[in-house]
Formats: sequence, C-alpha cells, structure tokens
Amino acid sequence: MRKALEGIRILEMTTAVAGPVCGHILGDMGAEMIKVEEPRSRARVPGGVPPSIAGAPDRPYNRQTNYVELNRSKRSLSLNVAADEGREIYLRLAEKCDVMIENFAPRVVGNLGIDYESIKQRNPSIIYVSMPAFGKTGPYRDRGSYGPGIDAMSGISHLTGYPDREPGKPANFFCDQNAGLHAAFIIMTALRHRRRTGEGQYIEMSMLEGELQSVAPALMDVTLNGRNRVRTGNKHEWFAPHGVYKCDGEEAWIALAITSENAWNQLCKIMDRNDLKENAKFSSMEERVNNSDELDEILSKWTADKDKHSLQKLLQSNGISAGVALRPNELFEDPQMLHRSSFAWSDHPEMGPFPHTRTAWKSTRGNTGISRHGPLFGGANDFVFRDLLGLTDDDIQSLIDAKITSYSPVTD
Amino acid sequence: MQGIPLEGLKVLDMTTSTFNYAGKLLAGFGADVVKVEPPDGDPIRYQPPFVNDQVDPELSGRHLHMNTGKRSIVLDLDIHSDVEKIKDLVKSFDILIESYSPGYMESLGLGYEQLNAIQPELIMASITYFGQDGPYADYEGSELVADALSGYLYLTGDSDKEPVKCFDNLIEQQSSLQAAVAIMTAVTARELQGGGDYLDISATEAALFLLGGPAQMYHWTDRIAGRVGTRLMNSAPQMFYPSCIRPCKDGYVHVHSNTRYVDLLGILMEQPRLNEPEILETPMGHADEIDEIMSRWLMKHDKFEVVRMAQEMRLPFTEVFTPEEIVNDDHLNERNFFVEVDHPLAGTVKQPGAPGMMTGTPWETKRAPLLGEHQDEVLGNQ
Repeated sequence: MRKALEGIRILEMTTAVAGPVCGHILGDMGAEMIKVEEPRSRARVPGGVPPSIAGAPDRPYNRQTNYVELNRSKRSLSLNVAADEGREIYLRLAEKCDVMIENFAPRVVGNLGIDYESIKQRNPSIIYVSMPAFGKTGPYRDRGSYGPGIDAMSGISHLTGYPDREPGKPANFFCDQNAGLHAAFIIMTALRHRRRTGEGQYIEMSMLEGELQSVAPALMDVTLNGRNRVRTGNKHEWFAPHGVYKCDGEEAWIALAITSENAWNQLCKIMDRNDLKENAKFSSMEERVNNSDELDEILSKWTADKDKHSLQKLLQSNGISAGVALRPNELFEDPQMLHRSSFAWSDHPEMGPFPHTRTAWKSTRGNTGISRHGPLFGGANDFVFRDLLGLTDDDIQSLIDAKITSYSPVTD
Repeated sequence: MQGIPLEGLKVLDMTTSTFNYAGKLLAGFGADVVKVEPPDGDPIRYQPPFVNDQVDPELSGRHLHMNTGKRSIVLDLDIHSDVEKIKDLVKSFDILIESYSPGYMESLGLGYEQLNAIQPELIMASITYFGQDGPYADYEGSELVADALSGYLYLTGDSDKEPVKCFDNLIEQQSSLQAAVAIMTAVTARELQGGGDYLDISATEAALFLLGGPAQMYHWTDRIAGRVGTRLMNSAPQMFYPSCIRPCKDGYVHVHSNTRYVDLLGILMEQPRLNEPEILETPMGHADEIDEIMSRWLMKHDKFEVVRMAQEMRLPFTEVFTPEEIVNDDHLNERNFFVEVDHPLAGTVKQPGAPGMMTGTPWETKRAPLLGEHQDEVLGNQ
C-alpha cells in the first residue's frame, strides 16, 4: 500500500531543528522531500562521526548522526539560493512543488527573494509555511532565539524544575519537536483545503505560540484567578505519593504515581506498612498531598536498596503505576519498545543500520515508521536538475564552476 | 477568500484529560467534533483551575481550554442501548478518537475490527500510555510513568538531583498532538486512496520523540547522556556554551552566545576573559567559569534590560517569563494570541487561541460545550 503523502512534493529550506522535524514527519509519511543545502554546508564536521561501512566511500559529511536523524526520509539538493542563478533554479523548482517549508529568521527569505509573494507569483497554489520563533509581526518579530530561549519565554522553564532551585527546562529540544508536529498537522490540513478548492495559502507557525498550548492550565489560572503558578518538582496537584525515588545502583531511579485509593492500599501492603494506612495524615488523597514531603522521605528509604526493574514489576503487578526512569542505553533493550519497534531502523548506504526515533503511532495501513535513510549530500541534484528542470550536462557544469551547486561540500 | 479546511469531517471524541487536545485541534480548523461524555461529564471538568476557584463541571479552566469548538452528548457506556447509539453514530462519522485502557472499547463491541465492519472508511485513533499490546499493555499508566519509560524523564533536571518531570501533562498533550498528526495522515490517505485506518498512539513514544539524540548517541558512541540542567545536552568540551538559564538582578534570563560571532558575549558583558582563546576554544569545558564571569554583569541588570541590550547586539537572549507576564505580554496581545470567549456560565474568559496561523483558512476558537448541550441535535429522538 502506498504511504499517505506519496505524490506530494515538498521543498524544504530549513535550518536548526524545528523545520527539519516538520520535514521528516512528512517525509516519513511518504512525501517527496527535497531539502535545500548550501554548497558550503556540512563542510565542517564538529566532533567525530562514526566510521563508514566496508565498501562505502569515506564521506564524513554524510555521517553526522544528529543530521542524519533529523533529515531522514529526505533527499538533499545542493544549491546556493543567494546567487541569482541559484534563486532562479529555486523558483523554477518551487513551481513544481506542493509545499514549501522555511524556518529562517523573518528577514531571510525576503532578502533571498524566495518569500511567499515571490513563490506565489510562480506557483499560485503553493502552500508556504514559515516557522519563525515569534512571528513576523509584533514587538518580538526582530528578536532571535533558538528553542531553549523560547522555553524561557513560554513559561515552561518557570514551571519546570525543583521548587528550591532555578527555573528548569525540558530536556533537549522539546520546543522544536512540538513546533514540527504542529506544523505537519497544519500542512496536511492545508493540503486538504487545496484538494477541495485548488487554493494554497501562507501559514505562519510561531514556535512560541505553539509551545504556549502546553502551559494552558497555568495561563488559565492567571486569567481566571489571578494566580501565578510555581514549579513543584515531581509533585502532582492532586495525587500523592507522586515522585521519582532513588533505587540501588548508579543513576537508578523509579517513578511512582499513586492515582487511586486502591493503589495506596496496595502500596502500604507491599511496603508492609499498614501503619501508614491507619495514619490520619495519609488517610485521603488530599491529606497525602498535604503531607507529601513526609511520604516522599518514607518512600525514598524504602526504594533505596531495591533493584529498579524488579520494583517496577512488583508494583505494576499490584496495579500501581510505576516505571524505571530509563537511561538512553536501556531504551534499545526495553521490552515494550522492542515489541512496538519504537526505533525504526534505516539502512544507510555509508553508515549501515541506523536507529531512528519514529513518530508515536502505528497504523494498520502502514502509515508509520520512516521512509528512507538520511540524505547523502547532493543526492537530489540529478533528479532536480535533469528530470525536473531539463538542464543539460553543460548547464550543470556551469553551476558547479560557479559554486551554485556541488556534489560534495565546498570547502574554500 | 477564507475557507474551513476540515469542513465535512465528523469526529467522535471519546477522550479524557489532556488527551482531548487532538479533538480541539480538529475542531479549531472546522471539523465537527462531538464529545461523548459519561453521565457526570469528562473527568477533566473536575480538574482545576476553576473560575474563581469554584468547583463546578462547567467552570474548569482545563475543560474550557481543551474542549473549545466541540459539541457534547452524554452516553453511559454501561448501558447497552447507549453503546448501540455509538455504533449508529459511527455509520455517519469519519473519525473516532479514544483514550481508554487497551481492550476496553473492544469489550464493549467498539473495537476497530467491530466498527470497521459498520463503517469501512472509519479512521480510529486510540491513545494509551504504552500502546495497545505488548508487555506493558496491562500496566497502570500515568503521565509520570510514561515519561519515565520513554527515557525523557531521566534526562530532565540537574545532575546532582533526581530526574524531574516537565510541567503538568506535557507528555499526554504531546501524545494527543501526535494523534492529530496521525489522524490527518489517515484522512489524507483516505481521500487520496480510500479506506480507513487504525492508529495506535503511545504516550511513551510521544515522549521518546522529544529525546532528540541521546539514544542515537549511545548507539554510535556508547556515551550515555546525563542531566545537564538548562545547559545543552552535548557536553563535549569544545561544544558551544553558553546556552543556559542564569539569574540576573530581578529574575532569570536565558543566555545564549552568538554561534557565528563568538566574541559578542564578552563585548556585551565587558568581560575580556570571555574572549580569551582558551575559553573560546573549549567553551563547554569552562562552563562553570563562564557562569561566574557572566554573573558579575547579569546581577547588575534587570531581565528586560539584559535582553534588550543583548538582542541589540544580535545575541539571542530571552527573559524567563512567569505565566502572569505571558498573559499580559504586549507581543502576544498585539498578535491576538489570546481570545476572549463568552460562555453562558463562566462569563467572558481570556484564554489561549490558535496554535498556528493559516491565512487562508484561519483557526476559530469557539467556546467549550455545556455537558450534554447537544444531546438532541446529535441523537435526535433516540
């Protein structure tokens, strides 16, 4: 069966993380992704890269693991859009695309001559998606930021972390994945509209506004009650005990959430602490929340010498929500992840088997997983230049000579 | 010429709590989303914050936000004739979303196989903490434990303390966002090729999706990432620094160097040591020292001043905002991010609006429904 987005061609002019995430989601679902890279990109390879596999050319620029993970299911077009000829090729290519995605700072596409107005002139029904940090209008339009800076402004930092410490942060790049998912959703919505009416449109996904959806309860507490929430660590508003407790061993942690009276009773039984059940301080969920510090201490002492995996099994088999805080090395052995093939493996021609994190669903008609390995530099060049645009060998050679395109990163 | 992009799509929303987000997204862009609630209403209606702290199923801020644009009917799944009504509705609906434990819908005769027989084009999306089957399918789920078993919890927080979860139900919300993307994929497939789909969404995998690299890093290098507070995950000594949250005179700011013009930070803060080669070559390796040097300047300035001066020099600093500052923020209000929604019992409520701006087919925020408000409309004389 064909994947859902096969036959839809998407031009990706992106940087950093959010744009590429949106792109790979659509590529994973079968869209024909053409990711534009400057001829000079990938020239410097920070840190190390894994070795090439036997028989494959040794091209370190194709083996940067973060880049491969973010840009799987796409092919790479090497093109210098800043040059006049490069821009013209870009515009001609855009005529043949259904969607364009860009996530540069707001002025960039205008300066390059590939903003919505320019593209629309060549392709009136293009669906053009910008993913700026703050939006192209408003006092912050000229402000620059990456994902973590948006986490600071969205309230997520203020609301995440330990009560007695500084504002925290979701691990790694939460903002970008959130933005990429929202953008992928909206693009498919726009495609539906275009199927029905023939109309494209301009879409702006402000990363900050996408992230504000995650803090809505805190925003509502301000608008409804004038209350400014604070971070509460691992505590829950209405469940207790609720926290992360140290087990035996290095960096061994178990998360435990008592979400019902039954679970509380079971926990007391397992801990052999019926005295806790009898104690008025813990006799209801509300009382337990009020006395959660004391409960956390009791639990910490109890878990401290226990094996985390055994504890998870024991607690879960008694109907208690508990789970090991898995470390990155434990993910590949986790039985549920193995069962669900949570990692989708590609066969990268120069790296060998590569584990990708796929989107979070399985589909009975196969719209799941990934479509393709990471993009080899310039891998889409011939398809775009020859098949789509009808350029000759001489045309292409001129472009190479002028460094408007290349088949390997330009290093001068 | 403005259109309604999801016009004509009919959705039965049988989700609860933060899993309601997918239905909200679909409703905001014009799908007809009918929420099927138990007799006392979706439990989200009893979750704070409430209007003026009044506990009432029509006054929950979570419900008022999460259920915008939906209609509401009440059906009791313990009553056979009510379950039959769902089967009747399914015949003319396109999408069904639910978040019950694995096997529950099937036990009622509402599993995908059973409903697919009634409606062969049905798209059904089931959201659970761990997935429909496998060793954890019977596990007791929760936001915190899905976070834990995804690997994401381990990576959040400080290295000298326990892992800490993100605010509220971030993972549940992400799983529902993933469901919305999956649903639109299935809608696309159905409209282009025909046929329905069964989508099995896992909250644990939604959290795994946020990891962004540590799993791959372990596979390729055997290095195990740890918690780094608000610093960036890659902690090789030559790695870029600072990107972190630091205190300033009146609060906190996110500090971020300019990746291209690395000397700007030292110039802004008038600290030449920051531009010495030793520091510039291995910034992450000198992170603690850099923090100490920066504090000399940061503690002299308020957060708005810090950010203003930094942004003027193209250093992408930002303020750490509180929820109150966000609600009153000029930029967001100028862009009409917040909307004022009239509700017959809650009054006029200021709440977050669109997650994205479609110029041709704009998002519309319509109020959340009263419990069972659309019973007669949807079920007629049944």
